Amino acid sequence: MRFIARFAQELPDHFEIIDVFDTKIEKTPIDKDNPEIETVAHIYPAAVWFERKIHDDFGIKILHTFDNRPLIHHERFPNIHPMRKDFTQKSIEQVPFHPYHYEVIEGDGIFQVGVGPVHAGIIEPGHFHFSQEGEAILHLEVRHFYKYRGIEKIVEKKHPNEVWNIIERISGNESIAYQLAYLELLIQASNQKHNENIQKYGAILLELERIAHHLVDLGFIPNDAGFGAALAYSSMLAEDTRRALKTLTNHRFGFGAIRGKAKKIDQNILESFLNDLESKIDFFENWIIEIPSLWDRLDTTGKLSPKKALKYSTVGVVARASGVRIDRRENSFYKKHGFSIQTQQSGDVAARFKVRLQEVKNSIQIIRNLLDFQEDSISLNAFEDGEYFSFIESSLGEVMLYLKIKDQKIDRFFARDPSFINWQALHLMMPGNIIADFPLTNKSCDLSYAGSDL
Amino acid sequence: MIDFWLQRFQKGIQTQNSWADEELAKIKKRLKSEIGKKFSGSLAIRMVDSGSCNACEAECNALSNPYYDLERLGIRFVASPRHADILLVSGVVTFNMLPHLLDAYEQLPSPKWVITLGDCTQGTVFKDSFAIKGPVNKHLPVAYHIPGCPPAPDEIIKGLLGFLQTL
Ligand code: SF4
Repeated sequence: MRFIARFAQELPDHFEIIDVFDTKIEKTPIDKDNPEIETVAHIYPAAVWFERKIHDDFGIKILHTFDNRPLIHHERFPNIHPMRKDFTQKSIEQVPFHPYHYEVIEGDGIFQVGVGPVHAGIIEPGHFHFSQEGEAILHLEVRHFYKYRGIEKIVEKKHPNEVWNIIERISGNESIAYQLAYLELLIQASNQKHNENIQKYGAILLELERIAHHLVDLGFIPNDAGFGAALAYSSMLAEDTRRALKTLTNHRFGFGAIRGKAKKIDQNILESFLNDLESKIDFFENWIIEIPSLWDRLDTTGKLSPKKALKYSTVGVVARASGVRIDRRENSFYKKHGFSIQTQQSGDVAARFKVRLQEVKNSIQIIRNLLDFQEDSISLNAFEDGEYFSFIESSLGEVMLYLKIKDQKIDRFFARDPSFINWQALHLMMPGNIIADFPLTNKSCDLSYAGSDL
Repeated sequence: MIDFWLQRFQKGIQTQNSWADEELAKIKKRLKSEIGKKFSGSLAIRMVDSGSCNACEAECNALSNPYYDLERLGIRFVASPRHADILLVSGVVTFNMLPHLLDAYEQLPSPKWVITLGDCTQGTVFKDSFAIKGPVNKHLPVAYHIPGCPPAPDEIIKGLLGFLQTL
């Protein structure tokens, strides 16, 4: 059974913990006066962040856990639990500093290296704490949530149609995936049938988003190994993809593109873009595959074994490059349109690079097979009270959304970005590597901070 | 590959949108001359994301792709605030990022300028959150704002030119 998420919500007379697995959803009621629950992190290690978040959000105590440090609440965060219904403050103020204790390895000659939150370069903020023995990494702790915007709370009490502009901006490079996942929730809540035109239109945009994202990584990974020419070439292709997305949606990231409609697109423009991209990506592949000094750096670096990839519930490229066959596109709609799952076995930077390359090529085929759709729209206005789940394969992996509607308003919204899971597995890839391998490994996973921090 | 680079050096990048390319070429030229006059040919920018959705970062990264190639004009995104002339801030200023943003600003040597990038730095979109301490200008003296959500790379370039012209 694959662990997907663990989160809480407040009901009138009790709290509820919701555990989501790939085959079932479990709910556990807990007492409001003495809120506590047993940890499941001993069985599913990826549950640790979820449980720390539950504690920060609701003040629910996690029993017998091996890590009960705050997650979202940083050193100056007041002792409040903002996801409780009675929390209605508009603003919070800083309180005296409570140090955060990093998990570190100590000993003779072992030293700590802290990196971030403000990194060298144009990167989102986050903190990485290394325990080092000379150049060798002994341990890495990932600490995030600098970008915590409180999105789950912002959308509460709003009408579901009122929050599209926020959903679109949970994570910019997965915007279309989030929009489609949200659309799926609203389709369920308004008792609509799936409409093939809208499905095809959405899938085209999603694959374009995936192509753009993968192309950026296909440049940055070699670039971090000192091979800048690859970045120059593939960032050019990424730019072409953004421009294609703009031609289709009027926005380079597709903000506002989904919302229950399928817009007419100029097939000729798209086809000529795809043909051009296909020949260039073939060229890129032939070129880069023949550079032994580059593969020397990518092979065996940042390895995640298949066993650990499974144990830590990883998703997306990270999982597939370690031989785990998880892809939410593995369904009849996508298969009919040419999807084939891309996996590698070695679990290293090279494997993640190759999976991305193959996925770009597969996405080109998928888009070609989806072009025969008509303009269409569905109306999303009346929503039935209830609880809804949706799953979408973004370029980073499986996005999971949960929406509870009460009296036509959002009562609880929960989003699990693929990064929230994969960040927790990053430290497993580090021992045995040197610190210079970290940027390379990190880039090969290319996780979102915004999506994970929310 | 060699052929690609030879072509690239001879002709520059050819795109389907030649009007925009010409326009961009003109702006780049003016930008280069402004940087020459006002920053001795070298403008260093430190970008700090104070809580963005990451699209603004992606667009800044796109500035160094071969279409825009900003480094050629003398603009560099530097690794440390201590090497920077400008602090380019994106995002909403979250509660957790505020101290780090202020710290980064402190580290910039004077004279220094703050430019905000993207609409959400102005306190739009995410405004109803307890965890957000924006807008940026509540905490830092903002010299110039580049609008857009996100501003496309050519809009960022135009914005930088606009800023330089105010000096
Ligand atoms: S301005 Fe828009 S695109 Fe830029 S970070 Fe803010 S929300 Fe994202």
